[in-house]
Amino acid sequence: MELISTLVINGLATGMLIFLLAAGLTLIFGLMSVLNFAHGGLFIWGAYTGVWSYQLSGSFIIGIIVAILTGLLFGLVTEKLIIRPVYGNHIQQILITLGFMLVLQEFIKVVFGPNQIAVAPPAFLQGSFYVGDVIIIKYRLFIIIIGILVYFVSMFILKRTRIGLIVRAGVMNKEMIQSLGINIRLVFMLVFMVGAAMAALSGMLHAPYSGVIYAEMGLEFSILAFIVVVIGGMGSFSGSLFAAILVGIAQAFMAYYVPALSLAVNMLLMTVVLIFRPQGLFSR
Amino acid sequence: MNLARVEKSTWIYLGISLLLIVVPIIVTGRSMQFIIIQFFIFAIFAMSYDILLGYTGIISFGHVMFFGIGAYATAIMMNRFDSTILSFILAIMIATVLAAIVSLIVGMLTLRLKSHFYAMLTLALAGLFLVGAEKWRSLTGGNDGFTFKLPEILRDSHNLYMLCLLSLVLIFFGLRRLTKSPFGRVLMAIRENENRTESLGYKIVHYKVIANVVAGVVASYAGVLYSISLRFVNTSVFATDMTIDVLLMTIIGGVGTLIGPIIGAGLVEFAHHWLSSLADVHWIFERWIILYGIVYILIVIFFPLGIVGTIQKKFFPRQNIQKKKKRMDRENPEEGMDEDERYRNG
Repeated sequence: MELISTLVINGLATGMLIFLLAAGLTLIFGLMSVLNFAHGGLFIWGAYTGVWSYQLSGSFIIGIIVAILTGLLFGLVTEKLIIRPVYGNHIQQILITLGFMLVLQEFIKVVFGPNQIAVAPPAFLQGSFYVGDVIIIKYRLFIIIIGILVYFVSMFILKRTRIGLIVRAGVMNKEMIQSLGINIRLVFMLVFMVGAAMAALSGMLHAPYSGVIYAEMGLEFSILAFIVVVIGGMGSFSGSLFAAILVGIAQAFMAYYVPALSLAVNMLLMTVVLIFRPQGLFSR
Repeated sequence: MNLARVEKSTWIYLGISLLLIVVPIIVTGRSMQFIIIQFFIFAIFAMSYDILLGYTGIISFGHVMFFGIGAYATAIMMNRFDSTILSFILAIMIATVLAAIVSLIVGMLTLRLKSHFYAMLTLALAGLFLVGAEKWRSLTGGNDGFTFKLPEILRDSHNLYMLCLLSLVLIFFGLRRLTKSPFGRVLMAIRENENRTESLGYKIVHYKVIANVVAGVVASYAGVLYSISLRFVNTSVFATDMTIDVLLMTIIGGVGTLIGPIIGAGLVEFAHHWLSSLADVHWIFERWIILYGIVYILIVIFFPLGIVGTIQKKFFPRQNIQKKKKRMDRENPEEGMDEDERYRNG
């Protein structure tokens, strides 16, 4: 029982991190039909700049803020320089974002050095406590809370505010939104920046969770995010939360019982979904 | 075969191939010969990628898995059995069959999907192969890899050169024939407009799967040559970097041209060698992938047709049409061309 609940908490924490990465991907895809292969690059840049300022200033909160700012900035630059010139051409988009991913990943090594960097959680999130028989590690709980918080804030924005209305309408029909006099380009840019910031936040939160950061983890982690986006359905926000938790928990259990197959089980999940419901579980 | 009907470009390519036979007599340095061999191997790999990307319009980020299958099949065969020519040929056969089966399964599962899904799924599948190769240490040796012996005849650098050159030339002409056949034309039609091709009555999934199998088998053969050229194999043959390398070669050279990927492979291979040797001059050259990535992005934005494609468009924009007209006037002014001929001339 203790084991199972520990694994579930692990899975939830991993799931939330994947969700933060996948949420941006799925929104960007739903709205702009751009599949951003560079998303993993934004993830590592968030992690590195966040960790750098965290270790420099000693404050974890500052680290998170810096990571989010990096995400916003990189999102802006990516959208303007990389996505915009090839707008509407799917093949070029896929090719160019993958190339940009590579540049981002290598550039990390230039700026921060090629070695792994060890990261410890901040003092107030270290350690664990008991609930009944179950050990709960504080940092994992923290990730779960942040993930849920981000989900509800985003849901609130999407469902209750004007900009959210525009985004949701844009997912359904871009041309109509444009003809109603709304600058859809600006909305694209904002959504891209927010998606990038979520990826960067995910990277920053992931750093103390895994204990080390390295440049290649962006691509590794974004593969999980792609799986989640496919399972949840492209463009579905709640779908990506559900799928991320599913993938996270599956990953946690497999990593404990059959470590060699932990990636394989997610691949299998994705393959099954793609065969029986290629539009994803939550897509209309 | 009527020699007069062979296209002029075929003679040019044959001439270049003959010239390349002489090269190892002039270039005797082992390291230089090794680079040229690598160039041939990657040219084969890039051509196979071009069948997918350039001719069918499929973006696969997992093409490296076939390459890796070929490389590992050879290495394991050579390591476990006698290093004779017989086991080498057996290794090629195993690599081909394995790659064909895997590409068939992958193709049937995934090629119904839209380009985005396909790209993601292949990236994830290749990741799976990489993890699998790292975990199955007893067979693959993991990241450390293992070395193996080659049959006597292949140990000689000159023989290896000839084998790779011959493979390159044969595969080039084979694939060129394929792309100019009616089958190749259907692939191009799929690239241009999937829905229209489907409504013309072609089962596009079948065509895509066949293209995937062809590309997979050729890539696995490139993997075979790669591992025997190094006499060593490790998990880097499944790494995403390799996919990106081949993507870069195809795109720099020019997609959908076959000769473009060969040129691209040459450029990337020599640039790689040159930039690595500059690493002593300045540390930035150690991170040459950044330069690659930037060049690649610029090419995708500004020259999406690549070197060969851009040259073709600029200097011979209507050459094909004019040629066709001329031939029509000369050969068969009344009836026009028969079906096959029209395909061949594009």
